Amino acid sequence: MENALLIGLSRQSAMMRQMSTIANNLANMNTTAYKSQSMLFDEYLMPVASENSPDKTLSFVQDYGQVRNLADGEMQTTGNPLDIAIAGEGMLKVQTPTGDQYTRNGHLQLDDTGQLVTSNGYPVMTTAGTTLSFTNDEGQITIASDGTVTTDKGQRGKIALVTFPNLQAMKAGGDNLYTTTQTETPVAAPRMIQGSIEGSNVKSIVEMTNMIDVQRNYESASKLVDAADNMRRQAISQIGGTQ
Amino acid sequence: MQSLSIAATGMMAQQLNVEVISNNIANMSTTGFKRQRAEFQDLLYQNLRRVGTNSSDSGTIVPSGVQIGLGVKTGSVYRIMTQGDMNNTGGKLDMAVQGRGYFRIQMPSGTDAYTRAGNFQRSPTGQIVTSDGYTVAPGITIPPEATDITISQDGQVQATIPGQTAPQIVGQLELSNFQNEGGLDPQGDNLFIETAASGAPTTGAPASTGFGTLQQGFLETSNVNAVTEISDLITAQRAYEMNAKVITASDEMMSVTSNLK
Repeated sequence: MENALLIGLSRQSAMMRQMSTIANNLANMNTTAYKSQSMLFDEYLMPVASENSPDKTLSFVQDYGQVRNLADGEMQTTGNPLDIAIAGEGMLKVQTPTGDQYTRNGHLQLDDTGQLVTSNGYPVMTTAGTTLSFTNDEGQITIASDGTVTTDKGQRGKIALVTFPNLQAMKAGGDNLYTTTQTETPVAAPRMIQGSIEGSNVKSIVEMTNMIDVQRNYESASKLVDAADNMRRQAISQIGGTQ
Repeated sequence: MQSLSIAATGMMAQQLNVEVISNNIANMSTTGFKRQRAEFQDLLYQNLRRVGTNSSDSGTIVPSGVQIGLGVKTGSVYRIMTQGDMNNTGGKLDMAVQGRGYFRIQMPSGTDAYTRAGNFQRSPTGQIVTSDGYTVAPGITIPPEATDITISQDGQVQATIPGQTAPQIVGQLELSNFQNEGGLDPQGDNLFIETAASGAPTTGAPASTGFGTLQQGFLETSNVNAVTEISDLITAQRAYEMNAKVITASDEMMSVTSNLK
């Protein structure tokens, strides 16, 4: 009897977390290079008491994982020469105080020493494993589609684009940065677009319909809890009444 | 319920986005104004099931965990330093910088400020000053009897004096450059001041290496593009509404729970 309540509860807790995921996707609708996430649900079968038991296995719901939609976000033209959008696969490699991290956020800038850094101030790595610095008299910085950076002083280096065997297993750490223990491999055909920024790939209509779905499912799960509660109440009053 | 506070971060971010866009639109006709853009980043993640952890003692790992993001935050509001259009005003002391460089302005407090707005005037003593009356470095005085002023592309100021055949050189304008222009601190009145993030200025004559040229009789307009701003405004407004919908939905879910009993 209690199982009906608990099964309903397992559904509701999973729904709550799915709602949080949807809320996070919608909150990040305008976040540079944000990748939308969705929950994966699984059936958890509760084993029966004994082999010959007349009980049927009960199935609870559990959220066992999340999947990231890795499609490119739309390109937004900003006109800023230090904004780059990565088309197709690849991530920029940035040097942070806690080790190398990866991002698709191509909003770059120069810091006070002229070093090419992300908006958090972390230096961007080149294919040679170095960082890039510019002086005041170099003029316009041009970033070619393969990442080659050219100024009035000639070629200055090539911005590294790397990829990983399993992009789903990248750990998001906030600030558009990802970490992983996997070994990076350089992207065979890197493609960057200067003067643009990759937007978020959140599809608002999909998220809104998912949200309605979650809300209504939550309500129906609560109906189940309600019904189980009513049954128990009736049992108490009727059995109690025969005394 | 987390989704309430997550949606609240989304609404706050979009509110800031609308503020940035409205400031851009308000400054559409401001001389030398550079449009700003809000850049957003995802906030922290809560690991409910950590990715890459062992799922058995035989070495299998969790291929994709459950990471609940906790919303959005503003990464930066940065200036897009592209060249604005050139507006021909014909003013003798109107100058536009074509390329990199800022005019250095000596503030009454003795500090320096920097500007791209070259709508200068003459003070009662004949000095070249901004529209607020602050001296444009290095401080050039035009003789009161001068009938015409010519400013060359490399910043040389020449005055035509009645009775003299050749124009008289009265001074040389200078420009300042910064490693990181985005790090300049805006002060209003089209003025910026140096910060630790911008780096120290390097000063040089216009048209020298790394510096832009001066165009007399022109003013640099703002680089705000109305179409971009309006379409950004629409996106921001709709994103705000959708985040508000998340709050309504979460509220209804909570009310369902509280009505159970």
